[in-house]
Amino acid sequence: MSRISKLKIGLASCGIAAGGDAVLEALKKATDLPIAEVGCIGHCYAEPLVEACLDDGSSIMYGNVKADEKSIANILSLGESGRFEIPAARKAKELLKVLALAGKIVPTKLEDYIANGGYEGLKKALTMKPEEVINEVKISGLRGRGGGGFPTGMKWGFLAAKPGFDKTVICNADEGDPGAFMDRSLMESVPHQVLEGMLIAAYATGASNLVIYCRAEYPLAIKHLKIAIGQIYDAKLNVFGDRSVEISIKEGAGAFVCGEETALIASLEGQRGMPRFRPPFPTDRGYQGKPTMINNVETFGNIPVILRDGGDTFAATGSEGGKGTKLFALAGDLKYPGLVEVPMGTTLNEIVFEIGGADREHVKAVQTGGPSGGCIPVELFDTPVDYDSLRSLGAIMGSGGMIVIGKDRCMVETARYFLDFTHRESCGKCTFCRVGTTRMYETLERIVAGKGCEADLELLEDLGKKIKAGSLCGLGQTAPNPVLATLRFYRDEYLEHVNEHKCRAMQCNALVDIALDKDKCVKCKICLKTCPVNAISDDFIIDPSICTRCNSCLDSCPKHAITRVAKGDK
Amino acid sequence: MSIEFFLDGKAVTAEAGQTIMDVARANGIEIPGLCGEKRISKTTSCFVCVVKDRKTGKFLPSCSAMPSAGQEIDVTTDEVLEMRRTALELLLSEHNGDCEAPCTLACPAHAAVEEYVRAAGNGDFETALKIIKERIPMPITVGRVCPRFCEKQCRRNIDGEPVAINEFKRLAADKCYDSYMEDLPELTGKKVAVIGGGPAGLSAAYYLRMQGIKAVIFEQMPFAGGMTRYGIPEYRLPKSLLDKEIAHFSKMGIEFSYGKKLGENLSLNELKSSFDAVIVAVGCWQASGMRCEGEELATPGIDFLRNVVENNCVAANPGKVLVVGGGNTAMDCLRTCVRLGSPQVICLYRRSEAEMPAEKIEIHEAKEEGVEFQFLTAPVKLEKRNGKLVLTCQKMTLGEPDASGRRKPVPEIGSDFEIEADTVIAAIGQKTDVPAGIPVNRYGCLAVGDDGVTVGDGLYGAGDCVSGAATVVEALASGRTAALAVVRDLLGIPMEKDNPINVSRGKWQDLSKDELVVLRDNLSAEPREKLSFIPLEERKTTFKEVCATMSAEQLAKETKRCVECSCSDKADCKLRKFAGEAGCKADAYSGMRQAPSYDVRHPEIIQDRGKCIKCGICVKICKEVVNKSLLSLQKRGFASCIGTAFNQGLPESCRECGECINACPTGALDWRKKR
Repeated sequence: MSRISKLKIGLASCGIAAGGDAVLEALKKATDLPIAEVGCIGHCYAEPLVEACLDDGSSIMYGNVKADEKSIANILSLGESGRFEIPAARKAKELLKVLALAGKIVPTKLEDYIANGGYEGLKKALTMKPEEVINEVKISGLRGRGGGGFPTGMKWGFLAAKPGFDKTVICNADEGDPGAFMDRSLMESVPHQVLEGMLIAAYATGASNLVIYCRAEYPLAIKHLKIAIGQIYDAKLNVFGDRSVEISIKEGAGAFVCGEETALIASLEGQRGMPRFRPPFPTDRGYQGKPTMINNVETFGNIPVILRDGGDTFAATGSEGGKGTKLFALAGDLKYPGLVEVPMGTTLNEIVFEIGGADREHVKAVQTGGPSGGCIPVELFDTPVDYDSLRSLGAIMGSGGMIVIGKDRCMVETARYFLDFTHRESCGKCTFCRVGTTRMYETLERIVAGKGCEADLELLEDLGKKIKAGSLCGLGQTAPNPVLATLRFYRDEYLEHVNEHKCRAMQCNALVDIALDKDKCVKCKICLKTCPVNAISDDFIIDPSICTRCNSCLDSCPKHAITRVAKGDK
Repeated sequence: MSIEFFLDGKAVTAEAGQTIMDVARANGIEIPGLCGEKRISKTTSCFVCVVKDRKTGKFLPSCSAMPSAGQEIDVTTDEVLEMRRTALELLLSEHNGDCEAPCTLACPAHAAVEEYVRAAGNGDFETALKIIKERIPMPITVGRVCPRFCEKQCRRNIDGEPVAINEFKRLAADKCYDSYMEDLPELTGKKVAVIGGGPAGLSAAYYLRMQGIKAVIFEQMPFAGGMTRYGIPEYRLPKSLLDKEIAHFSKMGIEFSYGKKLGENLSLNELKSSFDAVIVAVGCWQASGMRCEGEELATPGIDFLRNVVENNCVAANPGKVLVVGGGNTAMDCLRTCVRLGSPQVICLYRRSEAEMPAEKIEIHEAKEEGVEFQFLTAPVKLEKRNGKLVLTCQKMTLGEPDASGRRKPVPEIGSDFEIEADTVIAAIGQKTDVPAGIPVNRYGCLAVGDDGVTVGDGLYGAGDCVSGAATVVEALASGRTAALAVVRDLLGIPMEKDNPINVSRGKWQDLSKDELVVLRDNLSAEPREKLSFIPLEERKTTFKEVCATMSAEQLAKETKRCVECSCSDKADCKLRKFAGEAGCKADAYSGMRQAPSYDVRHPEIIQDRGKCIKCGICVKICKEVVNKSLLSLQKRGFASCIGTAFNQGLPESCRECGECINACPTGALDWRKKR
């Protein structure tokens, strides 16, 4: 019988959040076996994950591991319970290229990365002329993974065309979309891969200054990157023959708009993060007035793969609307939330149902591209996911956030939720964005409160179009998308809210009452004890004027006798 | 190197470095913009200057976008204008200030109240009178009889009584009227006939003359003044003062022709042929009846008052008097009867005191003089018995509010009772008697077009005959409008309009005391100055003017009570100007506004964030031109604002150079003292 030679534990943010730290402590206490603290394999729903590597080269994984003695003993004895298998449907659809090493190696060990083919891409690049490297990226068809979808090779070409080496390459790690965590996971799990991509870019474009602009909310990513940068300096990987490049990290202060390249540069320079009119583009006038190029974390993560395998090989994967693979942060109403990597052109059906394990009966829509994206109804889930087909549906690929929306979610409320985020995050510069999104938000607040009218829908559409057309940066240009898309696909829900004061999803509190089914009720009085505002009388009458619709009673009722009903219904 | 591109289809040339806005301006196309300033780097924030790239379909901020060769730019298409209008309307929707002071907005004549109050308070009564006469050409009269629309909206109502605004007109006129003379322009040769010498006709003639048009006033009575002479009693407006006021119109060269009545000795067709235009301002001289049996036995209120005037306040004692009605005419009749020696004067009104349309002060003064009031009483029948009049009345109760918002009186069944009297006066209301040949609307008033005065075919209407019985100040405003319409049609000068954009913080009734935003220093907390009255006995027995004009000292104190609500930048606010030009509605979008947060910590400069449009010009001027960097943008989203380091206010190192104030497109940064 095989024996455990080594243990791996997923300790990216998702693993830690699920209690991985405690599991690690428990493992340390229980065994002297070497324990590798690795990153995230993408199956966040199963964290904490522990992998028992056997001396025959195979391994057994355990999911949702508890830090108690019994669970730990179970793993150490290779017990049958709690074993984790990657769902077969997901295994069949997923294609791990960028994430190939995530969760497999120790992020802070350069030798681990190198032992698994790391820095092969840089090594190969350094044997090529810079223009040959750029050409390889062009051949790959790689487009910016931050959401814009601009051809990466072309962008590199613009910077390379600028004379001299006093140029800056910035890695945009200001991942701000709620629900998106592709970049964080990459930086935490394979920091060297991102840095290798940046070094290749520096070599190809002639830049000497590399900056990672990372949001301060990602302390683990920053920690891993800092360690990795130190290792790069020690190994002199930042030296290309007779020139060397500097790498630094700038922690962002948390403004969503700083993901916008001109705002990001302003922030780097110590100014208020506000976008400016382009042209001049950063490649002409960027950080401190010098030519500058900004790529996203995931874009850089793809570069070593392209260089190692060749642009042609890379381009063989994907669809017309996008080459290679794409990472998606799957979240919302589905069984397997987590980080997935699939070839471009994979359909929403495959991602949401086969990979995400969502319930076909229950799914209403998917929101792509975060607060800047649009909702795509389940009827259109045969759409291949790439830059162009999503845009045709009023959504965007964005950076890769994908939120599955169940039938018990109100689409008006969903739109309101996203606009709540964007209208607060506007930098305040452009009139349309600053005031317009606020007016749209207020209108949506009115509608979910049952105080809207049909004219409000026209106002939303009219203002939404104008805000998109009259804003300087991507924030304003996309902020109305969730509203416009839901108005397009779920207009009937809006109309119900304004005309009938009904929310079919029973989500909008102002349009909902809580009702108790006396036939089902067993008079256990748990609801009475649970209600935080004492809205339920001793004879089980719920006073709608006191009730806050918090759902505590619903959740506590052992007989499911309490439900949300349309306001006024009994 | 220059390039060629197209603005609205017209080929234009751009030199290197020129923006689309620069090129447009060089070609005579003005594009409005709020956030541009030559001396600083681009702010590109207001998006009022958008144009459209026809090929890409994208809207571009023309202040920042450089044209490219062959580019086709739409500058004045409907779509572009709508985008601009929306940008301006969004800015207006967050704007929190008062373009105009509420008093000025409330005044039917839109007189510049704040300005004349300030001038008079500083002792400059001549300037005050000049400002007043720009809108109110009868300040002696209005200063005495106006129901004071302005004072009702004065923000000082929040913490007590309004500023005594009307007293300023009265004193300014009393002090300077004799010596004051307008700068009269040359006569143009145009001539206009004005039918009716009441306030509307006088006002029309006045403002015509101010534009070089001679007016001849045709008046049916032997003296001018209309209702101000024959309706308003001597004790409120002495005839000697009215004569003085009207004499000034003659001095200005306005001609009067008395004893002329349209349809009797005056023909509209003849007037039309011998004048360039005719303004009809014949007023409302027909009394409405009590609408009950025997109503013909009652004396119509206005006829009663006119009779007293025509007999120089010498008339027979009317004995015991009943006056039916609750308006100002009723009060005038009641108080006149007191002065004529009536032993008992009773007012009958079918609603309660709260619903009475008469001015509160009139009711109060009538009570002081011994007038009795019987509310919730309506006439049913008037008859003559044994030489006495007997009025049968009915008690009423108040029901639901009617169309006017007042609670409707409902008769109590079986509540009839009789009152005996020597005289019964019906002061119910007045109607106009539109002369034959002039179109009438469904209310029996003279029918006019959208501008409120133009009838067509060289004919115009003004005053009560258009609006129905109203106030002197409304008649004056209407007369001015008629004059401006005539000027428009005869001289081709567009009608001067008040800026339609008036953002307001709200009526004082909707504001709390904390929201009474005080800009000025040393606002007086003193109560309103009191009027001084002649002794009550004298009031009851003579027709002497009841109260005296306030003194200059009193008004100097009143000036200090004025909050000076209007925006210091109202005259040159770019937002207001462009929004007015673009046809914006100030209330197109509703929603939360900037919180008014005056920062008055600096001794000279005031920051008013409520009016800030976040263009960022001040930030860049201070940084890039003044080299000080004292201002910065702060916060995000709707809460974005301009602030100072650590919110400590402008530091002493501020040189008070005024660059930011001059560059601010609105009144968000200004000098503290209104100049």
